[in-house]
Amino acid sequence: MNGFGRLVLVELSRLVHRRAALVLVAACLIVPTIIGVVLVLDTRPPSAAAVAEAERMVEQDRQNPQLEKDVASCIAEPQNWGVDPSVEDADEIEEYCRVSMEPQLDWYLYDSQLEIASERDSGSGIAITLLLSMAMMLLGTTFTGHDWASGSVSNQLLFEPRRTRVWCAKALVVGGVAALLAGVVLTTYWLAIGAVASARDRLGDGVLLDCLQMGWRAAAVAGVAALLGFALTMLFRSTVATLGILFGIALAGGIVLGILGFEGRWNPAYNVAAVVSDGVEYYAEVDCSPQQAEEMGEEMGYGYCSEERTLTFAQGAGYLGTAVLATGLGSLLWFRRRDVP
Amino acid sequence: MSDLVIETSGLRKEFRTRKGGMRVAVQNLDLAVPAGGGVHGFLGPNGSGKTTTIRMLLGLARPTRGTMRLFGEPVPEKLPQVIGRVGAVVESPKFSPNFSGALNLRLLADAIGAPRTRVEEAIATVQLDGRESDRYKSYSLGMKQRLAIAATLLKDPHLLILDEPTNGLDPAGIREIRETIRGLGEAGVTVLLSSHILAEVQQVCTSATIIGNGKLLASGRVEDLLGSTTAHRVVVPDSARAAEVLGRAELAATVEGDGVRVETEDAARVTQVLGEAGIWLTELTPLRPDLETFFLALTDAERLGGDK
Repeated sequence: MNGFGRLVLVELSRLVHRRAALVLVAACLIVPTIIGVVLVLDTRPPSAAAVAEAERMVEQDRQNPQLEKDVASCIAEPQNWGVDPSVEDADEIEEYCRVSMEPQLDWYLYDSQLEIASERDSGSGIAITLLLSMAMMLLGTTFTGHDWASGSVSNQLLFEPRRTRVWCAKALVVGGVAALLAGVVLTTYWLAIGAVASARDRLGDGVLLDCLQMGWRAAAVAGVAALLGFALTMLFRSTVATLGILFGIALAGGIVLGILGFEGRWNPAYNVAAVVSDGVEYYAEVDCSPQQAEEMGEEMGYGYCSEERTLTFAQGAGYLGTAVLATGLGSLLWFRRRDVP
Repeated sequence: MSDLVIETSGLRKEFRTRKGGMRVAVQNLDLAVPAGGGVHGFLGPNGSGKTTTIRMLLGLARPTRGTMRLFGEPVPEKLPQVIGRVGAVVESPKFSPNFSGALNLRLLADAIGAPRTRVEEAIATVQLDGRESDRYKSYSLGMKQRLAIAATLLKDPHLLILDEPTNGLDPAGIREIRETIRGLGEAGVTVLLSSHILAEVQQVCTSATIIGNGKLLASGRVEDLLGSTTAHRVVVPDSARAAEVLGRAELAATVEGDGVRVETEDAARVTQVLGEAGIWLTELTPLRPDLETFFLALTDAERLGGDK
């Protein structure tokens, strides 16, 4: 094995022996499992007993004399009950009133269905992606922050003085492990949810593949997050400093970008979403005349209109790639140049 | 191949201070450590630039100016080619505190492709066997120091650079390390030993370099630096009479404590003069300047010069 390969294995070994890394890996396995189990339980079909109880309650409510009074009131004055005033046919009005007022079985079942596509677009899929990305960023930060805190970087350099090699080996391990772990977690998650949806006959054609692809893109984002955390910590040589800066960016980054006029397209969150979701729609403020604003139904009327735009996967990936590349290059060059304590 | 294992020329290191000023840690240092084994002392007061010089040699700090060579190769350019022959402990030992001593060594050994057996050998050499599975943070300072020395042995080094290697060791530990260093020097390893304990340096070093305020003050073989014996101390029953007799024989002598200090290299003449006067010696000791005296004289002069 060549020197770089050996170094990669050493860094891998260093990572798996680090307790903080193991805690983060455990969190990345346990939390998605809990989310998945809760989702499956929350969306499970109602039991026979629950259905029987609901049927009993429906029947009981149907016997309630108030129901007939309300239906009669609705037929007499349909406009008060939300019936479209243009409907004039009496049978139609009665049907509407009965359908909307008569107790239905699902009113009493309190269950929700497993919608895998909605989980992918706005539900647990997004939550797990966020969780994994943040955990992997922490992994990247704490992995090398610990080395700087203990001073062992200098000891490592006494055995391998080629700093570019050392930096790249660490980056490869931290980015690779993060992406691989996130990929495994998300693939397992979607396969499990897909299996449950299929068993419940609620899996549409191609949806599972979409979810898996979304998971793989999210895994790449988690890898990038880990790399970013690593590169910043190699730059600042402190986990606390890196976390402070990331916290500051999360807190005030959007405001600063807004003040500088970099909104929408340049918003990091939109770009991450564009990569994860293979493109994302967002609203941008554009100049327009008050008349155009009125035509577009804008209430602002100050010469600005909001316009829906699409941020593609390629644009998002380009943005994130450039940000990580610039940070990584800066970190590497700084590491090569500065004295090591 | 060069006959010097370490060679620096015009080496200079400047640090920027927080107030925007400049502090010179090392200035125009010409250091030469000969090859062929032996222990070379690297001495200087705190803040004199010893550690900075060592860190520059090992690629941990960039020199502002000057050139450096290890085994005749320019560093840091060729450092990767020679680092496998250089073992080093710089300042305090630095390992991952939550890893065991053995794991810390294994990671370093794996990085250079050294066999795992060498880890066990190194642990045994520094007598850490039995504690190698304990976490590094549970080690005493002396054990940490010994682990750092074990790390240097993973490479089978031709040059050992040890920066205060006996810090925190108990007297027995200091003696063990001293013997280890002496043994390595005799086995053909060249050791650059930076230490504040001058008596220890004098016991093991064959040559030394002394620096102060980042500048070279003296360098050479220890015997040459200290010079030859210039006085003797004699102990006799009657010190006053002995001093008088020696004075009459044109030997400058003064009573010091329970003996007499005679300013001469010629011990035979002292015994002859006193014997002819019927004064029998109970003790005759050559008085050599020690390294500490020499060191303090040099560094005090440098400090006073620097203060001016």
